[in-house]
Amino acid sequence: MKRLTIFLSLLLSLVLVAAACGDDDAGTTTTAAAESPATTAAAAPATTQAPATTQATPTEPPDPILIGSLHPLTGGLAGAGNRMNNGAQMAVDEINAAGGIASLGGAPLELVPADSTGAADVGASEAERLINDGVSAFIGTYQSAVTTLVAAIAERDGVPLVIDVAVADSILDVGLTNVFRIQPNATSMGANGAKFLSELGGGTIKTVAYLHDDTSFGVEVSAAFAAAAGQYGIEVIADIPYAPFSVTDLTTEMAQAAAGGPDVIVLTGYYNDGILAARAATDLEVDVMAIVGIAQGAFHTPQFVEDFGADSELFFNSNYHFNSSDPKVAAVLAKFEAEFDDAMDTEAMLAYQAIYVIADALERAASSDPADVRAALATTNIADHFLAFPGPIAFDETGENVNAEPVLMQVIDGAVQQVFPLPLRETDPVFPGTPWGG
Amino acid sequence: MRGRSRTAAWAGLVVVVAVAVPQSAWWDMNHTVFAQAVVSGLLIGGVYSLVAMGLSLVFGVLDIINFAHGALMTIAIYASYLLFQNYGLDPYLSLFITIPLMFIIGVGIQRFAINPVMDAPVHNQLLLTLGIAIIIENLALVLFTGTPRSIELAYARNEFDLGVVTLDFPLRLFGAVVSLPKLIAFLVALLLAGALYLLIQRTQLGAAIRASAQEPEGAELVGIDVDRIYMITFGVGAACVGAAGSLVLPFLFVSPTAGATFTIIAFVVVVLGGMGSIPGALVGGLVIGLTQELTQLFVPGSTKFLGVFVVFLAVLLFRPEGILGRVRR
Amino acid sequence: MIRLRQLVAASSKDLQILLAVVAILALVPLGVSRFTLSVATAALIFALAGIGWNVLSGFAGQFSFGHAAYFGLGAYTVAVTFTRYSISPWVGLVLGGLVAAIFGLLAGWISFRFGLKGAYFALATFAFAELLRLTFNNFDYVGASIGITIPLAGGDSWSSLQFEDTPEIRYFVALALVALGILAVIAVKRSRIGSRMLAVREDEEAAASLGINPLRAKLFAISISGFITAVAGGYYAMFLMFVDSDLVFGPFISVAILLRPIVGGVGTIWGPVVGAAVLSILGEVTRSLVRDPPSILQAIEGVNGLDQVIFGVILVVVIIRAPDGVLGWFRRFRKRDGV
Repeated sequence: MKRLTIFLSLLLSLVLVAAACGDDDAGTTTTAAAESPATTAAAAPATTQAPATTQATPTEPPDPILIGSLHPLTGGLAGAGNRMNNGAQMAVDEINAAGGIASLGGAPLELVPADSTGAADVGASEAERLINDGVSAFIGTYQSAVTTLVAAIAERDGVPLVIDVAVADSILDVGLTNVFRIQPNATSMGANGAKFLSELGGGTIKTVAYLHDDTSFGVEVSAAFAAAAGQYGIEVIADIPYAPFSVTDLTTEMAQAAAGGPDVIVLTGYYNDGILAARAATDLEVDVMAIVGIAQGAFHTPQFVEDFGADSELFFNSNYHFNSSDPKVAAVLAKFEAEFDDAMDTEAMLAYQAIYVIADALERAASSDPADVRAALATTNIADHFLAFPGPIAFDETGENVNAEPVLMQVIDGAVQQVFPLPLRETDPVFPGTPWGG
Repeated sequence: MRGRSRTAAWAGLVVVVAVAVPQSAWWDMNHTVFAQAVVSGLLIGGVYSLVAMGLSLVFGVLDIINFAHGALMTIAIYASYLLFQNYGLDPYLSLFITIPLMFIIGVGIQRFAINPVMDAPVHNQLLLTLGIAIIIENLALVLFTGTPRSIELAYARNEFDLGVVTLDFPLRLFGAVVSLPKLIAFLVALLLAGALYLLIQRTQLGAAIRASAQEPEGAELVGIDVDRIYMITFGVGAACVGAAGSLVLPFLFVSPTAGATFTIIAFVVVVLGGMGSIPGALVGGLVIGLTQELTQLFVPGSTKFLGVFVVFLAVLLFRPEGILGRVRR
Repeated sequence: MIRLRQLVAASSKDLQILLAVVAILALVPLGVSRFTLSVATAALIFALAGIGWNVLSGFAGQFSFGHAAYFGLGAYTVAVTFTRYSISPWVGLVLGGLVAAIFGLLAGWISFRFGLKGAYFALATFAFAELLRLTFNNFDYVGASIGITIPLAGGDSWSSLQFEDTPEIRYFVALALVALGILAVIAVKRSRIGSRMLAVREDEEAAASLGINPLRAKLFAISISGFITAVAGGYYAMFLMFVDSDLVFGPFISVAILLRPIVGGVGTIWGPVVGAAVLSILGEVTRSLVRDPPSILQAIEGVNGLDQVIFGVILVVVIIRAPDGVLGWFRRFRKRDGV
């Protein structure tokens, strides 16, 4: 028994040692903050191209500013998560190549990737680790449930989180001041989805069957849609939830949806189940005017078009989107494809954009202290962004992007094209239209 | 004889239920939707049967709860996918490669990882196979990244003129659709089930396997190399689930967690059908497939699986040896 | 029944070890980062859950593969009573324990009365956990799929069981709960009902022939087991400030709960704690290894999934080489020394 005690004591001492060794990074928070006062005054007249005038005495290069990137890098959603992380990295590299954060003496950014593994508790733990490592801000997380937890931690620890992808209203409903979201939220998705249907159909769409995932994502978006649909004269005649991560087939659900004879079938869900739904619809050749995704994870992605081929034609999706009618966006897409040998999707673009939003805040704050960054983020106004909504990125007091809106897209001739709203239209929609001849 | 009449009785009961329930539901709900649920349920049930068969065999002979079963399926899906992408090999043809490949992998896993824990308590075996599952899934992630991919068969929507009849896929059956990949999966699953049954019941190897399952010590005494039988059995189990992997590729997707869903369902099917019973796994798979889809009709949402677990619990409580298993309390 | 003085005398060694371990663990918050403290607190919570599991599966020998059922019930009870009825989480913890104990009695009675044992019982426990998960996912009263977010009380609040300013307190409360759990286990082990459970584990039929009522022993085990694990779940809810059915009822929770005692040593008092410590360290080591590898292994930096592969390999090796867990291996090691 005594030996056991000794063994246990040794084991627990090991815990202490391991814990102590893992804390080398705890010191960086203070050094990053100490920089700001020295350089702010000198930075005023200088531009990024004139380092010589900003520093009277040349010092060593400024410490990098850490920005966390929290996404599912492993697990079922790893595909999207890794693309988003890559998008963020690309933005960081670009900003550094252009001279870093000028107001902080050209301080470079450093991306600190973290893996939520798709689980909320791991995400929360990783968020704490990032904050512990001294990030000035971080982006993430792709899943609403994970983001809810991570947002609470960001709020508690006073480190700003810029949500790149996560749709649930409930995340920001609780009145957080440290969390900002670029993409449209569930209410916006649902309500705008209803609006697009009424514009698309010109009043001919009266009934809708809604097939959605049963997580908070699908539930909130479909509820928002149902609430807004009434004012456009649209009725949801069937609401069919399904378990997105355990289904292997959606034919029965799709048959249920089609059974009431709706004008349009609406879908909300993630990528994998989107594929299953598309297959089911195609197999059944459902007799509807169109299949419309609302915040659907698949129908606006180049991957869907590639994997589904000709069968992907004419699928609609009302979702966030990079502004494909903007040439500078095309350049970003090309660069991503060349660097990562993978087509860039909107999720990755949102992560890319989120980094630029933080960089912009860093510039204006001229400080890498999380509190200062947060204050600067609150007054963000970026007109020159990469996303498809009218107006600049600007946050209201709850942290929502006031101008964020989805766009309605359709796969036409093998390419995802924006069809609504009119100012962003790339080509006329084909309606009514389904690949099997609706 | 008693076993046969019992099987017949159960089959009869299933038929009666299968006819009676639809009759009553027929009038209440949309016929097309109902037909679709039944068709979809049976088709996916066939795949469940194939996956469960391998598990049932392993459990019946080695007495091991194999949590890596779904992960083995993932390996097969990836293998078929790679063969399709890089060499254009049709997934159904790749069966000739994946079946032997998975057999070898199964033998290897049994020999090096499972054998040491054959006599260990159940929780150790469970954790071991769980560890193997973690390794396989994450190795797939390391090698192929997490991006889910899917394939479309070029001929999936073609017409096939069989002389007597022309089959235009997807087929229409009582208003329900039957897609080609799912139909092939179903038919091949039945075929392999039959083949496996013949292997176990009519070959010498099968006799050795059955002997090792019932009386390992006795089997050793009559000269059967039980250790070798264990390896072969595990290999066969892996080959089954590997075949299932190739079969589902055309209508599912490739990702490191693609096979994971099937692990749980496989367990439910095995318990329902009776551990160690091949016909039981067949019937059980179909029943679970049907339960799943029919629950979706009556209680939509994730409660689709609620019906499955209620059935699972009911079987555990009222007939743990399963529909066709031997009483072994 | 349990005679307190006799009990204390018989368990004096165990109590001494308990004091020593608590004293050492109490030192952890010194000089570690907030993040590490968080990891340590989570480790303690799962150690407690494992302590509960160990009562049923280790001492009574009924292997449970669905302990997430109790964990989740505890978590939801705390979340619902706090957010809907403003009941203090301290009370919520106890309520959660009671709810779980009752559920355990029900589920246990159904399972044991029908004679489920071994793998069949394990699968039934899994089914119960999944049933709870699916039910709670559809039940609006408990937030359905959106879950329940626990509002921040702001700062430190003993009544709300939140310690945002002083995470050390959160750690110490977890430690106190673990100590209480261990005390409960010591008491049970030394009591008559405890030895009945052990007898049932070894040979149920023989125990029955000796006049022990196996059903009663097992029911006692499952209710204590459920209570302890539910307290862990309830505390976890306050730790995460959010619950949803996948998070607390999911199969990976059941696995996480049983992993610690198995790695540490099933049926031992300290198994869950040792296991929790080992797994915690292992997890962090593999993760940081892949995040920041030494220069020789530069190629593995940032490779996703590699840390899990390493973890899986180590798990497999441990199971094969140390089937009785860390404590078991240590005991065998000691025996080889001829002690």
